[in-house]
Amino acid sequence: MASLKLQNLNKIYDNNVQAVFDFNMDIEDGEFIVLVGPSGCGKSTTLRMIAGLEDITSGSLIIDGEDVTQKPPKDRDIAMVFQNYALYAHMTIYENMAFSLTLRHEDPNVIHEKVLAAAEILGLTDQLNKKPKQLSGGQRQRVAMGRAIVRTPKVFLFDEPLSNLDAKLRGATRREILLLHKRLGATMLYVTHDQTEALTLADRIVCMSMGYVQQIGTPLELYDTPANLFVASFIGLPPMNFFDCKVEEGKLIGDGFAINLNENDKATLKDYVGKTITLGVRPENIVHGNDVTLSVNSNENLGQTTLVHGKIGGHRATAKFREWSTYKLGDEVGVSFNRMHFFDKETTNAIR
Amino acid sequence: MARDIATIKKDRLRYTKNKMSSSMTYLAILFNVLYFVNIYQSDVNTYYYTMTIGFSVLCNLVFLLVAFLSSEGVKNYKMNYALVLILLGVVQIARMFGIPRMAHSTMTTIDAVEVLVMDDKQYMTVIILLALSAASCFVAGINGVIKTSVLQKYKKDNGFE
Repeated sequence: MASLKLQNLNKIYDNNVQAVFDFNMDIEDGEFIVLVGPSGCGKSTTLRMIAGLEDITSGSLIIDGEDVTQKPPKDRDIAMVFQNYALYAHMTIYENMAFSLTLRHEDPNVIHEKVLAAAEILGLTDQLNKKPKQLSGGQRQRVAMGRAIVRTPKVFLFDEPLSNLDAKLRGATRREILLLHKRLGATMLYVTHDQTEALTLADRIVCMSMGYVQQIGTPLELYDTPANLFVASFIGLPPMNFFDCKVEEGKLIGDGFAINLNENDKATLKDYVGKTITLGVRPENIVHGNDVTLSVNSNENLGQTTLVHGKIGGHRATAKFREWSTYKLGDEVGVSFNRMHFFDKETTNAIR
Repeated sequence: MARDIATIKKDRLRYTKNKMSSSMTYLAILFNVLYFVNIYQSDVNTYYYTMTIGFSVLCNLVFLLVAFLSSEGVKNYKMNYALVLILLGVVQIARMFGIPRMAHSTMTTIDAVEVLVMDDKQYMTVIILLALSAASCFVAGINGVIKTSVLQKYKKDNGFE
């Protein structure tokens, strides 16, 4: 296992498109880091730079104190698991898992024991004589992970490994990856655009957009104290509601509503009096009350919770109530915000 | 708990193919093909061979088919196919006493000239090729028998069946 230091990593392609801007991060030994962001944000490129599959335009990558920026992938001692599994169809599961070690001319008996140990961890012992086409998507992905495990690399890289799986299997495999991390105690970097995966798996999340790191923090930090509007909108499902509001003495004036601020919020917004800011409220922070009115457009019952879509003033809003509701189009529901996030309208950064 | 090497070697048989036997069988097929293309290299050509040619061609086709099937069988530790390979080795030895021996000891007349149907050099070549083919079959078959027996016993002893 290993620690990683990513210093000022930049990636500029031959066509002068810059995919990653000044990526800096220290990753501790045994940490599970998830890179999350929308398509094209540079997360996979960053992972591929770490793997050595993409050249690093500038900056340096240090693994366990050793600068590996210029080293070829085979000398970095990193294993990568791909979205499409990348298994050899003509080989059995055993042969697929043993393949990388066979290429290294390791002792077949040692290879055998490593493959069996990995198969045991991943629950693949009974599948070893099968071909990949005989396995389900989740099992195939476990084989891909097994192939990485047998190498006992310093770092594991996962590039959207669950994207090809259906929702149910994705959840099960996600839990398996989490257990695997706990069992191996390995340093893992995981790329996904699925925030649920990010929140459930990560020790720390790196949220990226347009090639820039937007925020690095624990899942709770990203959820509770997003650094900017992008992180606030990306993390959380359903996404956060945003309202343009004018700050007045002790009040927030929105389009069609006004909210009294408490002392803490007043202190936070003291420099913004007279200015317009963006107010962010998570759907789960909209509760029954009498501060503002939610005009209902639609009602989605999810069993334990209900999503109520509608408008607050002139803004679209979604509320997540913790009960079974039967609101209809045109209903007006009195609500309050029990937690608010404030963002600078110009910089989009959080106001704290 | 760490296992001893002997046990690991036996356990490996459960997940690996018997590539050695399979490869040796392919080698036997190769030598047989070379034998086949060498045996008719004679100046007398079809003057001597008549029905024997047809039978010889048939033998070769049957050998190729059975050997190929056996290579697949022995690869997967099937005892019957290993025994078939040993039998094929015996057949290849028996074939040495067929056409090559016959042709090497027979004279024929072409344009009023007495000639040997198969000269010494050609005779030695085809005999060596048949011998190599037979040896390959024996190695493949015996190796197959040994490994299959080991695997079967290992599976039985450890309740893998």
